[in-house]
Amino acid sequence: MKRTSSMIRGAVGALGVLLAILLLATVAQAQTYAITGGTIHTLAGRTFVGTVVVRDGRIVEAGPDVQAPAGAEVVDATGKHVYPGMFDAGSEIGLTEVGAVDVTNDSQEQGDFKPHLQTATAIHPATEHIPVARANGITHTMALPQGGIIAGQASLIGLDGWTVEEMDIDPGAAMVINFPSLRARGRGYGGFGGASQRSFADTERRYQEQVASLDEWMEGGRMYAKARAAGEAGPNLEMEAMAKVVDREMPVLLAANGERDIRHAVEWAEKQNIRYVITGGSEAWKIADWLAEHHVQIILGASQTMPAGPDEEYDEAYANAGKLYAAGVKIAFATFNSSDVRTLPYEAAMTVPYGLPREAALEGVMKNAAEMLGLGDRMGTIEPGKIANLIVTDGDPLEIQTQVLDLFILGRQVSTDNKHKALYEKYRARPKEKVIS
Amino acid sequence: MSHRLLMPWITPRGLGRVGWTLVLALLAAPAAAHAQPRPTRPDAPRHFAITGARIVTGAGQVITDVTVFLDNGVITAVGRNVRVPEGAWIVDATGKTVYPGLIDALTDLGHPPARSARPAASPMGPFGPQAQIDPSNYSWGPEDRPGTHSATTAADGIDKADARIGQWRNAGFTTVVSTLDDGLVTGQAAILDLGDYERGRGMVVATPVAMRLKLQDRTYMGYPQSLMGSFAYLKQLYLDAQYYDRAWKAYEADPKGKERPEWDGTLEPIRDQLGSQYPVLFPAADRKEILRAIATAKVMGVKPIVYGAQSAYQAADVLKEAATPVVVSLDWPTPPRNGDPEATPALETLRFWDRAPTTPAELQKAGVVFAFSSGGITSASDILGNARKAVALGLSKDAALQAFTMTPARMMGVSDRLGSVEVGKIANLVVATGDLFDEGTRIETVFVDGDRFDVPEETAATRGPRGQRGAGADSAKAATTPVEMTANTGPYRSDAVTLIRNATVMTASHGDLTNADVLMRNGKIAAVGADLQAPNGAHVVDGTGKYVTPGIIDSHSHIAADAINEGSVNVSSMVTIRDVINPGDPSVYRALAGGVTIANVYHGSANPIGGGNAVLKLRWGSDAFDMLMAGTQEDIKFALGENVKRDRNPDRYPATRMGAQDVIRQAFLQADAYRQVWDAWNAGDHKGVEPRRDLTLEPLADILRGKRWMHVHAYRADEMLQVMRLSEEFNAHVRSFEHGLEGYKIADELAAHGAGVSTFSDWWAYKVEAYDAIPYNAALMEERGVLVSINSDSEEEMRHLNQEAAKAMKWGGMSEDNALNLVTINPAKQLGIDDRTGSLDVGKDADVVVWDGNPLSMFSKPLQTYVDGVLYFDRDLDRERQAALEKEKAALLERYGGQRGDSRAAPDRVAPRAGKEVIR
Repeated sequence: MKRTSSMIRGAVGALGVLLAILLLATVAQAQTYAITGGTIHTLAGRTFVGTVVVRDGRIVEAGPDVQAPAGAEVVDATGKHVYPGMFDAGSEIGLTEVGAVDVTNDSQEQGDFKPHLQTATAIHPATEHIPVARANGITHTMALPQGGIIAGQASLIGLDGWTVEEMDIDPGAAMVINFPSLRARGRGYGGFGGASQRSFADTERRYQEQVASLDEWMEGGRMYAKARAAGEAGPNLEMEAMAKVVDREMPVLLAANGERDIRHAVEWAEKQNIRYVITGGSEAWKIADWLAEHHVQIILGASQTMPAGPDEEYDEAYANAGKLYAAGVKIAFATFNSSDVRTLPYEAAMTVPYGLPREAALEGVMKNAAEMLGLGDRMGTIEPGKIANLIVTDGDPLEIQTQVLDLFILGRQVSTDNKHKALYEKYRARPKEKVIS
Repeated sequence: MSHRLLMPWITPRGLGRVGWTLVLALLAAPAAAHAQPRPTRPDAPRHFAITGARIVTGAGQVITDVTVFLDNGVITAVGRNVRVPEGAWIVDATGKTVYPGLIDALTDLGHPPARSARPAASPMGPFGPQAQIDPSNYSWGPEDRPGTHSATTAADGIDKADARIGQWRNAGFTTVVSTLDDGLVTGQAAILDLGDYERGRGMVVATPVAMRLKLQDRTYMGYPQSLMGSFAYLKQLYLDAQYYDRAWKAYEADPKGKERPEWDGTLEPIRDQLGSQYPVLFPAADRKEILRAIATAKVMGVKPIVYGAQSAYQAADVLKEAATPVVVSLDWPTPPRNGDPEATPALETLRFWDRAPTTPAELQKAGVVFAFSSGGITSASDILGNARKAVALGLSKDAALQAFTMTPARMMGVSDRLGSVEVGKIANLVVATGDLFDEGTRIETVFVDGDRFDVPEETAATRGPRGQRGAGADSAKAATTPVEMTANTGPYRSDAVTLIRNATVMTASHGDLTNADVLMRNGKIAAVGADLQAPNGAHVVDGTGKYVTPGIIDSHSHIAADAINEGSVNVSSMVTIRDVINPGDPSVYRALAGGVTIANVYHGSANPIGGGNAVLKLRWGSDAFDMLMAGTQEDIKFALGENVKRDRNPDRYPATRMGAQDVIRQAFLQADAYRQVWDAWNAGDHKGVEPRRDLTLEPLADILRGKRWMHVHAYRADEMLQVMRLSEEFNAHVRSFEHGLEGYKIADELAAHGAGVSTFSDWWAYKVEAYDAIPYNAALMEERGVLVSINSDSEEEMRHLNQEAAKAMKWGGMSEDNALNLVTINPAKQLGIDDRTGSLDVGKDADVVVWDGNPLSMFSKPLQTYVDGVLYFDRDLDRERQAALEKEKAALLERYGGQRGDSRAAPDRVAPRAGKEVIR
């Protein structure tokens, strides 16, 4: 594994090491694969029966008339379908093992402002969740930090590797900011049926304080960048990270769900002139046209979700994606989960009968998030030069009954074996029990 | 505060404010000095003659120019030629109107809430702040008589210094029904006259007149912790009082050789109540709660008076039918201040604001007996003001007066002495400048027990409804009619005959039929096959290109329930979901939109033995009891594993899987003894008194009798095996394991016991006992002969159970037919309703879904859902209804727009994740 140490060695030692981890990774194995005879869904405008050649972690050729190079390991996909691997644009995979057991959870650090923390430093490569997720065609994900306002940096990982270094695509792929919300929290009951509640004024005050803090961190990043350029700033891990955000080097995953919260987040991001993508967006449909005008891109959370309130239409969450698409808002999908990462295609598929075109749903789990995060030149389609994250299926990957037969992650052919399959095979082979009594 | 007029020859007006202050100060002086009290009033005859008045008697008559004579607290004459004795005070009421003294039918006057009694920082319980955890005050079951203050009466300990006494009197109230406010049984209500007496007890007119109940209480920890626990407890309490009466009667008749029954101070007064048949005051706000109150009181063996009841307009028919009287709280809801200006209150909240004041008029129209109470009103002048609002919305003035006078007097059994201006009654009167229910009328003088109180002008009840409380005042005047309501529940169509034509029909019993028809008649499936004839008048649905399946059955749900867990105790089989069904839960409609026609609603998994279940047909818009599928068994939910044994405060047994098994075994042993006692009694062996009914053991005894089944929440294979063996010891039967995520490890044992498994499709790893969960579970168990269903345990997951079933095809290669069975006929079998529903067979209930494609595909959705042949969901008609509802909401928002913002009702959900079974 080659490291291209790009900058600021010494001054920001610890951070430097992390930042340095290969932006253009060279994968250890130099195996060449030729996936032949399948219907190749490139998601780059062409679908054809042909061959994809993978070498050194990259797609080197894809076309109807491409020949398998000599010495390549041939994967016969005749009658099958080849797609880009699915990208869960937000998950906790590798950061949590058993939800109810706190000590297995590493996604949420203390504090409200933790811009320097990277999830790659906590990802457990041997988690059982990864093989389970990729068996359903998920090849890479943004592993998100949780909690607070600036939650930390999401790391982009491929779902295969003996170590996190082998999985790494970009440890500092995006900054996660949970934009402060104006939704009133806290409910209570008074005597005789009355309700005690936090007044809106209190909520508003708290919101303004939080936004002011966030602004201060952004401003801090700007000042730090100037001071550092002038050689007048010492190493500061937090500020180093913020400087990348204000410099538009690092995109921001800006979490907001309520209609007003989304508006506020977008207005704030525009004022701050940052690169950003809204995440969550459960009420985005209410302002779809406004979002389109503002060129807002959204990574949607689980669509299999109840409506936000008692009066909302039953299919509010199912129809959200279709309405946004129709208005011209670019969308992608994420599970924001760990054990459920494998259900990513269904979160997208659920929106199809409720208005999202099938192709758009596919793009939403394969291509769009990569483009939103500035990774479009490296992943998301089957084109030469792209990272070889590919799946071979017997049908539409959004359909439940479709099986993922083969998958390639960072150019390596990866098994679909996992804990679940192993237990299934083990207990399926249990001898017929002589039943007592 | 006004004062009893001691020198009536000096009119208050003549004396002036300064003079009055002086008089009051002088009178108050002796008390302040803590000297032995000396008489403070002359012992002159209390003779008053009110002359020249127009009298609204409250007994149906209005008489003018008459004299009312009050003799030592009693009305002794009403008429034109009344002889007034010498020395009587003459009150010239010419031009005035005299009314009977008003009665506030439910208050805690005389018992002001002790604000310091509750700890400042209290832990949050299900109903809000709870009492500090004090294990010695923890209720471990009904026998601990939690919050049961049945022996206390509001006649005792009256605080004469309660400032409201004078305020209420100035507002025309001579009498209140006073109650204490803490407890599930808060105590005996008393009728108090709001005079000024040397001692508080002088106020008491009658006690006990009612026993007041509440369903939430914060004065204890533990059982009951949930709404369904409260219902179970109240039933047990009254059943216990009945048994108590039997036991003591038998003992006292012949104590020799008998063990003495346990004396119980909480049961004694209830025993008396049951003997003299005075009513309970039962809280209930709306139709759902009113139905519950009536049903519960029936089991308790008492007559209920429903109180609160602001949305009783929804239930006028049932109140009339049950002849249940109502005390309507006049504390009309108003939009909260300080709300979020962008938040939109829920339609239900808006309707409540708009409709509550129409309740009295609706009750009057239906002939329901109702009285008024101040509810939570703190400003006495608002009471009449709010009644005027009801009058503006159609309540007759006479009915309004009745609700303040004769009706409460009758309800409380004191109409022989209160409620009207008639000879012989207590001399409680109001002298007003005009009609009480007209704006601007002033109450000038109030007589209580024949004592005269003049009302200082500045406190007179002349203000409009809720004058200063911000909301409502202006809008109330404008809003004389409520905004028209759109039906948001109920069927879209209910045709006697419906024919779905030319669809792919997946029968769940005899394979798929293409280009086939389904005929539904009178709620049943009348025919399934090709080329069926449409009878005259049949509603015909074109099924071309569509799929038809049986309704989806979710065998494990928690929708439509106002409580889930009674986790305070380890055995809570006395509680049942049936007591807390909430038919208006929007999840019901949303489930219909996902093709679900039946949901089995379970108690949660907080304890080894939970409570009774409710199999609901999702007849959206029905009452709870009509939603309950008739004839279904009330089974008991058990639970094992992590949810049961987790840490609790205070510690609750069990903390291990050993303990969980032990709790069940011990409970079965007790239930077996109970069963024997009752079986003997029912067989005619009537030695001694009829045994006590124990609502905890009754359902467990039924399990041992084979009349109910066990449904056991469990994850791990080992504990499933253990509980099967345990049940076999008692000849009981585990009908299904709920979740059973490790069922695949012991599929053969499950099949041999005959236990079905209702599992999740692919959830795993959210807790340790779910770490070996595999999506192949359903397919593997099915392969080895286990009856398997897929359930949701989640209001979201239940909306796409068809997809969850399809996952068994992907993971384990189940056939399409068998996969569909996982959510149709198989859960029907597990619930014992497969003879009536679950497949498309002639004679079964017409529970049918029309899909726009193969339901085992991700790309299909339900278009129509029928329950009993009635169309409860239709994708197109849904859009129309939604548009109408939005229109209604817009009209309501316009009316309450300036005040909107209800953070209670505002949605506060931020993209919740797929609900994992955790606490449930």
